[in-house]
Amino acid sequence: MKKLVSAPALFAEAGICLIVGLLLGFWWAPVDASSLGFSQKIFYYHAPIAETALVAFGVAFVAAIAYLRTGRLTWDRLSYVSVRLGLLFSILVMLTGMIWGKAAWDTWWAWEPRLTTFLLVCFLYAAYWVLRSVVDEEQHRATYAAVFAIIAFIDVPITFFATRFLPEGLHPVVITTGDTGMEGSMLVSFLISMLGMTLLLAALTRRDLAIEKLKDRVADLKSTIGG
Amino acid sequence: MSIEEGVKFVASAYAIILAVLMIYYFMSARRVRALQRDVQLLEDEAKRRQGPAGGAGAE
Repeated sequence: MKKLVSAPALFAEAGICLIVGLLLGFWWAPVDASSLGFSQKIFYYHAPIAETALVAFGVAFVAAIAYLRTGRLTWDRLSYVSVRLGLLFSILVMLTGMIWGKAAWDTWWAWEPRLTTFLLVCFLYAAYWVLRSVVDEEQHRATYAAVFAIIAFIDVPITFFATRFLPEGLHPVVITTGDTGMEGSMLVSFLISMLGMTLLLAALTRRDLAIEKLKDRVADLKSTIGG
Repeated sequence: MSIEEGVKFVASAYAIILAVLMIYYFMSARRVRALQRDVQLLEDEAKRRQGPAGGAGAE
């Protein structure tokens, strides 16, 4: 079991799921019959990346609360790493979304609820990054960052539900209660890609946490040698 | 939109995803290796410094 969740195993599992999801999405799932046409194929990675970004911010939120409760820097590291990965995935969502928007609606950008709230999420977590870089003392930095991560997370559910509460925008609602709005083959391809992206997030989180641990070890050793 | 036009957009989107994820993957792998090397060097240095002092203390 331990081997299955090691970083190399998670990378391999993620890779397999992502390749299978993509192959199924292209060769098994039909071309979308709506106006989206072939450009709908972007969806098989675009939507899972978006969901994964929101999951990463959720992890950062929980880890931030855990840090404030316990004061353990391990939680701060997890929150920091999750924000970093959430931002990475968010940038991918924005880029692929713009390409899809141009293909489907002939516009790179529209100030509509989903896109605007997602952009706001990106700016908020970019500000988290800036905040961390301007505070030197470790405990203070971790505390401020944790408070900020909790506040920034308020925009995440707003982004998720934006298309449901304000459906007049361009962005479609893909999955609603009781109806996925997708054919069976499309849904299977999407779910496999979703699993792949989640595993990729887990693998990258493990590796980035290892990096943070190594950075701490280097700092400790430097202070030992220096002292 | 024709399928030929759609293919261009779809290929661009997947190329960006692949490129960004691969760059991040290899950069983080490189960072791990560099940090492991630093830790090893610093541990060796720490041992080297402790060695004579420890020996002197024992005498």
